Amino acid sequence: MMRTRVPLYSAIVLLLLVFMAPLLWALSGSFKPRGDIFGYPPKLIPDPFTLDNYQRLFSAQPFWRWFLMSTVVAGVATAVSVFVCALAGYGFAKFRFAGKRLLFGVMFSSLSIPFAVVLVPLFVILVKTGLGSPWFALIVPWVAPAFGIFMMQQYIVQSIPDSVLEAARIDGAGEFGIFRTIVLPLLRPSLGALAVWQFLQSYNSFLWPLVLVSDSSQYTLPLGLQTLFVSEQRQYDLVLAGAVLAVLPAVALFVVLRRQLLEGLSTGAVKG
Amino acid sequence: MTTAVAGPARTADERTGQAGTAHRPRTPWAPYLFISPFYLLYVLFMLVPVAVSLWLSLTEWVGLGTPHWVGLRNYRLLATDISFHRALGNTGVFVLVAVFVVVPLALLIAQALNTRGLRARDLWRTAYFVPIVVSPILVALIFGLLFDRQFGLINSVLHALFGTGGADWLGDPTLAKVSISLVMLWRWTGYLTVFFLAGLQNVPRELYEAAALDGAGRLRTFTTVTLPALKPVTAFVVVTSFIGAAQIFDEPYLLTGGGPAESTLSVTMFIYRAAFQRQQFGYAAAAAVVLFVLVFGLSQLFNRLLGIGRTSS
Repeated sequence: MMRTRVPLYSAIVLLLLVFMAPLLWALSGSFKPRGDIFGYPPKLIPDPFTLDNYQRLFSAQPFWRWFLMSTVVAGVATAVSVFVCALAGYGFAKFRFAGKRLLFGVMFSSLSIPFAVVLVPLFVILVKTGLGSPWFALIVPWVAPAFGIFMMQQYIVQSIPDSVLEAARIDGAGEFGIFRTIVLPLLRPSLGALAVWQFLQSYNSFLWPLVLVSDSSQYTLPLGLQTLFVSEQRQYDLVLAGAVLAVLPAVALFVVLRRQLLEGLSTGAVKG
Repeated sequence: MTTAVAGPARTADERTGQAGTAHRPRTPWAPYLFISPFYLLYVLFMLVPVAVSLWLSLTEWVGLGTPHWVGLRNYRLLATDISFHRALGNTGVFVLVAVFVVVPLALLIAQALNTRGLRARDLWRTAYFVPIVVSPILVALIFGLLFDRQFGLINSVLHALFGTGGADWLGDPTLAKVSISLVMLWRWTGYLTVFFLAGLQNVPRELYEAAALDGAGRLRTFTTVTLPALKPVTAFVVVTSFIGAAQIFDEPYLLTGGGPAESTLSVTMFIYRAAFQRQQFGYAAAAAVVLFVLVFGLSQLFNRLLGIGRTSS
């Protein structure tokens, strides 16, 4: 019965190295003087160790402003979209109504509309109507992802029994009251999953901010780091420090909430 | 990568076959109120832009003044624009890599992680997933440095091992495509693995036991038990990767800028360049409409071919 598992574990550990080594290399590189980043063979522990990259980043660049912009935008977008998705997911999961099949199909097919298709017209519309402010345009168009609705719908079908809702209705509760006091609390794990995913999507998004934001005081993190990278003689030591710092919260958030996220993401696909 | 899902589109009732249990409310407008915020946003930020895109694609416009109607001229120009053909071809290559390299590899890894009694499964799948969580800026920076011709780690290692290693990873037209593909592989494989792994863990164990009793070997078990059971997940993963790769932007834009000689220019980059660097908004819109028709059409087709079959039971 005990066949040797050495090949299996070697393969799995090798993969771990493939996926992790570049990130560790970046982390370690951010503490090295510029000349050492390219050193060969690469040293995992920086020697000499320096905080210089970080210090220069903080003193010369509005890093924290970019960080704030990214986090606030992603945070607001996440909060709103989780709410919108839960509402619609609940509507589709627990009600019968005329046109449901068609409306669901329309919602679902919006998943296969590439972003690049709306990129140009959306930019034009928002700018022409004076809604091009990053606080609006980086947030509002992205708060109703069909993916999230689908995920919520799947979860609600699986985890909220009709009897609970019926009981509340017999007690005379209103429809929105039921949603707020009964459905939302029961949805907490999957709301968490969707929230992490939405946050990461918004926090890491690059193309839309690149198109939209022209005022450097309103740059998001990816945009700020990108400009830093292309503008001044390729300061990859500074950018490396900034990028590492930008990625840490995202990875930390993911690791803490990984179970909900990974399970939540796959629910829809598996039970399809 | 933008999250995009396209599995079989069925509502809860159809799937569970319990149409009778869903509630027909006393307040018949309640469900419409619940779904209305989505449709409001959908119409404003999806339908209207797509319609505007169609209209813009029939005009010539530099972004100022009034768009000038030109009929189908933009499409005629696209048909003979060698850059657009390159962009389509390159994007096609990235799509093929995603569907035929990344997806099978993810399945293989999921299969390994699904081994019974595997230790620390959560650690592996979490670690493999991390690259998709990482900001594209860091990804581009890391791989830009790794692929560097003179000082990059990859060439240094190749040099140390084989004595060669002057490969110009980002500067040679063919190698640049390979490099972008490697980055895609690194970023997306672990993400897709999670879906396959969840699918595998859902396969009833009795099926495997029955196959073992019938004396089926590993390969046979895989083709007769695993693959059919994974059909819905596979449909989902294939369509997701297709849509993701068809609109690839971050990786080529940040790593190669579409070069050398447009050998990594993607359609989304083409659209971006036309609109925001060359002020050809009409032309960009026409390219976007072509992309829309291709991606939307193909993914509906895939859905029909792959996904609509119910979970085998």
